Formats: sequence, C-alpha cells, structure tokens
Amino acid sequence: MEPILTFDHVTKRYGNGVCALKDVSLSVRPGEFISIIGPSGSGKSTLLRSINKLISTTEGNIFFDGENVSALRGGRLRKNRSKIGMIFQNYNLVYNLSVLQNVLHGRLGHMSGIRGILGLYPEEDKEKAWTLLEEMGLEKFCYNKAGSLSGGQKQRVGIARAIIQDPKILLCDEPIASLDPSSAKVIMDLLKSTAQKRGIPCLVNLHQVDVAMRYSTRIIGLHAGEIVFDGEPESLSDSVLERIYGTSVTNLVAGTSDEKDWQQAYAV
Amino acid sequence: MTEAVIRRTASGKMRIDCVDKNRSAGFFLIGIAVLSTLGFLYLDIPWSKMLARVPQMGIVFWKLGHFDFSNFDLIGSALLETISIAVLSTIYSLILSLFFGMLAAENIFKCRVLSSAVKAFFTFLRAVPTPVWVLLMMICIGMGPSAGIAGLCVHTTAFFTRAFAQSFEAVPSETIEALQSAGASKVSVFLNAVLPSATPELVAWTGMRFEINFSECAILGMVGAGGIGYVISTHIEGYEYGTAGLAIFCVFAIAFCIERAFIWIKSKQRAC
Ligand SMILES: Nc1ncnc2c1ncn2[C@@H]1O[C@H](COP(=O)(O)OP(=O)(O)OP(=O)(O)O)[C@@H](O)[C@H]1O
Ligand SMILES: [Mg+2]
Repeated sequence: MEPILTFDHVTKRYGNGVCALKDVSLSVRPGEFISIIGPSGSGKSTLLRSINKLISTTEGNIFFDGENVSALRGGRLRKNRSKIGMIFQNYNLVYNLSVLQNVLHGRLGHMSGIRGILGLYPEEDKEKAWTLLEEMGLEKFCYNKAGSLSGGQKQRVGIARAIIQDPKILLCDEPIASLDPSSAKVIMDLLKSTAQKRGIPCLVNLHQVDVAMRYSTRIIGLHAGEIVFDGEPESLSDSVLERIYGTSVTNLVAGTSDEKDWQQAYAV
Repeated sequence: MTEAVIRRTASGKMRIDCVDKNRSAGFFLIGIAVLSTLGFLYLDIPWSKMLARVPQMGIVFWKLGHFDFSNFDLIGSALLETISIAVLSTIYSLILSLFFGMLAAENIFKCRVLSSAVKAFFTFLRAVPTPVWVLLMMICIGMGPSAGIAGLCVHTTAFFTRAFAQSFEAVPSETIEALQSAGASKVSVFLNAVLPSATPELVAWTGMRFEINFSECAILGMVGAGGIGYVISTHIEGYEYGTAGLAIFCVFAIAFCIERAFIWIKSKQRAC
C-alpha cells in the first residue's frame, strides 16, 4: 500500500541549538499502529508535532497525503491539518463547554466561512458526534460540561473529537500519561479498536514499553533525535531497549515485556 | 563548586529566604514615604482650620439625612437616566472590547506588533480620565446623556480591552493548539475555544465595571451629562439638602444592589 506519511531526512534544530530530530526517515501506511518510544527529550513530541506543522522543521521534507507539509501555509495548511487527528496528554478540551460541543470542535476545520467561525454545525455532524460518543460509552454525559468528567472520560472525548475529523492519520502525544492503569487500558483499547475499524494509521508517543509491545504493529525507538530502532514489537530485544534508553535494562522501571507483569500492572 | 552552607542570622537562627532578595518592595515603601512628605509640604494643608470645621460636617450630614420626598419623581427619572447611561455604555464597550481584546491578546493572532499597537493605543485612552472624555464629547455632540455614554464608552472600552486581553491570554495554549491542529481558523478558534473559556472572567469584569460606570455617572452629571449627578449638584447648590440626601442614598442603594446581583450571578456560574 502507498504510504500516507513519509519523513524524508528530516532534521529539526531549535533556536537554542538543540537538535531534536536528526536525519529522520520513515513512512507510515494505512492500518499501522505505531508506537514511538524513547527517553524524555528524545524528540518524540517534536516528531509528532512536525507532521501537522505545529512545529516547522529545519531540513528535509515531510509528505502527508501527497503534499509537502513544509511548504504549506494559510488555508492549505488548515485543510491539511483537518485531515490529521490529534490526541493530547492533557486532553485540551474547553472545560466550559458541553461534551458534544467539544467533540464537534473536530469539525471546525472542515467548515468554511461564517458557519465555521460561529460554530453552526450541520445536523448530520451533530448526529455523528452523538453516535461517536455512544461508541465511547459517553452518551450519558453528552450535555455535561467537559470539565466535570474524569480524566479517562475526558480522553475519550478527545478521541471522539479526533475521529469526527475523518482523519487520515491519528497522532497521539502520550495519551495515557495522566491516567491510572485501568483507564489507560480502556483508552488504549478504544484507540486501537476505533482506529483499526476505520483503517486509520496511528502514531502514539508512549513512555510505557510494555503498552507499546502489547498494542503496536510497529515500534519506533528514538534516542537523542535519531531513530535507533524501527521494527516489529517482537524484535525489540533488551539490547535494543538499552540503546533507546541509553541505560541498562535493569535501570528501567517498566522494561519487561513479560505478560504477567503487564497484567498485574493493568489489573482492572 | 562552592560548599553549600546554612545561612544564619546574627543571633544564630537559620535563615530560609532567598540569597538575592528582591528589594523593590523596600524601594517602593521608601518612595511612598518621600512622596507623601513632599506632597504634604507642597499643599500646605491648614489642619487647624480643618479640625475647626468638623462640627460643620456633622451638621451637613444631619441635614442630608432628613430626606425630602417631595421631589421623588425628579430623582426617579434622573436615576433611570443614570442607569440607562451606565447600562448602554457598558454594553457598547463590551461588544467593542471583545473585538479589540481579540486583537490585543497575544495568543490569538500571534502577532506581537498588532497586540502591542492595540494595547498602546488603549493605554493612551485609559490615561485620560473619564470626565475629560465626557467634556470632550460634549463639545462634539452637545450636552446630555449621549455625551455621557460616548465619554464613558471610551474609557470603559480601553479598560475592558486590557482586561479581556489578559483573560484571553490566560487560556491555556494547549486548548488553542487542539483546535488549531484540527484545522480551525484563528477567528474560529477564538470564538469556539478562547471566548467560552474566558466567559466567567468576562462576566466578573463586566459586573465590576458596570458598578464603576454607575458611580462614575453620578460624577458625570455634575459636568453636565445629565442624570442623578445633576440633581445632586443642583440641590446642594440650592441648599435643598433633603432632596440631595435622598438622591445620594438612592445611588448608594442601587450600587449595593448591583454588587449583590453580580455576586449572585457568579455563584450561579460556579454551581453549574
Ligand atoms: N520550543 C522549544 N525550544 C527549544 N527547545 C525545545 C523546544 N521544545 C523542545 N525542545 C527540546 O527538544 C528536545 C526534544 O523535545 P521533545 O519535547 O520532542 O521531547 P520528548 O521526547 O517529547 O520528551 P518527553 O517524553 O519528555 O515529552 C528536548 O531536548 C527539548 O529540550
Ligand atoms: Mg513529549
């Protein structure tokens, strides 16, 4: 299958001289569920955020859906962004608005002119938001303020907001870092099932190697801005983990892929 | 590297404050002391004469306290006029300031030059006191309530723009980013995410300013912008203390009600 996203020798240098991405090349195909792992500061967020140009890169090209992202500006950039769903660690909802309104925010990029500005959503979008919230098990909370939900519920709203965009790719920046193990499992399951059902490829930044092993079809390991591993979860050996995290496996809190450990940690 | 040492006071007690202290508070207090001394010397206030007049003050308040209800219809209509001026000037400014606040907030259009320019312009407008603006407006559009509204609007818009911009800037950048990354335009992000997030604060600012505008109206009447202020000043000049006292009391009562009303609104807001 044609890749939907391609990184072609991408380098990102920040103003302070930090090189957050070094000559990164990769491609993503529909249906993939890719976890990006790496120590803090290795450039995971930078990689994800350069895809929708929340951060602009220094060198190299990023091709998404046949367009060179680095060259996009204004309306074309917004059009491109509307095809990319993003899920955040801190959910980033508008807490004063209802759950439904928050989900519908995902449609704003598809609406032009005054309707988009004033948030006058078509009826079919509203119906769709409702169905999605049902899928997330949140139909009871549709008319509640988003701020009154629990962390796990907020993240489910975040997923619905991203899915309603009809995205061609989902970017998730540490979607479970603020959640307890059981809600984390719910979120990962939902993320995987909703994405797989629609054939949307997912790029997920994760701090938990065990979660990455369990859900991914492919794992990318970053170390100091460089890809040091790119392959199936099965081939992620201890020596590779040591290269990614730059320390012995015994120093990693959750470095094992042991099924039993995982079940203990995520016992519901 | 230098050794870490516990800092102690002269008497041997352990110190817990920062090494490089911020001395601005000290300078501020010294500055105030110097300035107040200078002001005192410059104005040459006749304290003995003032003290001698204190009983007089008591008499005036005694006279004001004997309300005279015969002119109540006059007071009522003047009050209505004042309230209308306060309401209209607050609402017009509110609408204008939502727009200018959006331009002034640095996190919406992310254009430093634009927000700095808007902020600087309104700082200038704010530096000129309201009565001066009202007098200027009276020259332009003549005596009466419309001059009062226009004059109040200038100052209120300047105040709101700064306050609103601050509230908009306090909205977390992540919230803005979330909509931006879904492809929403800047104005759309503003109306759908920033404005709803800032609404409780905007209501609080509006309530506060409405109260100020109401009392400001009382002063404006004295410079000729109509309303209750005019009634108060003419009746004091005519030694009709009873009527003036009743008018002053009404101003107090209404200002108090406005404050209670907005406290109530705020508590409702928090509840839901
Ligand atoms: N706006 C910025 N300006 C300058 N340097 C930055 C900026 N954002 C990130 N960096 C630097 O770039 C490097 C990569 O940061 P990034 O946020 O991508 O790491 P990360 O892998 O997402 O880390 P974490 O797991 O802690 O979220 C870090 O060294 C960081 O200090
Ligand atoms: Mg990060």
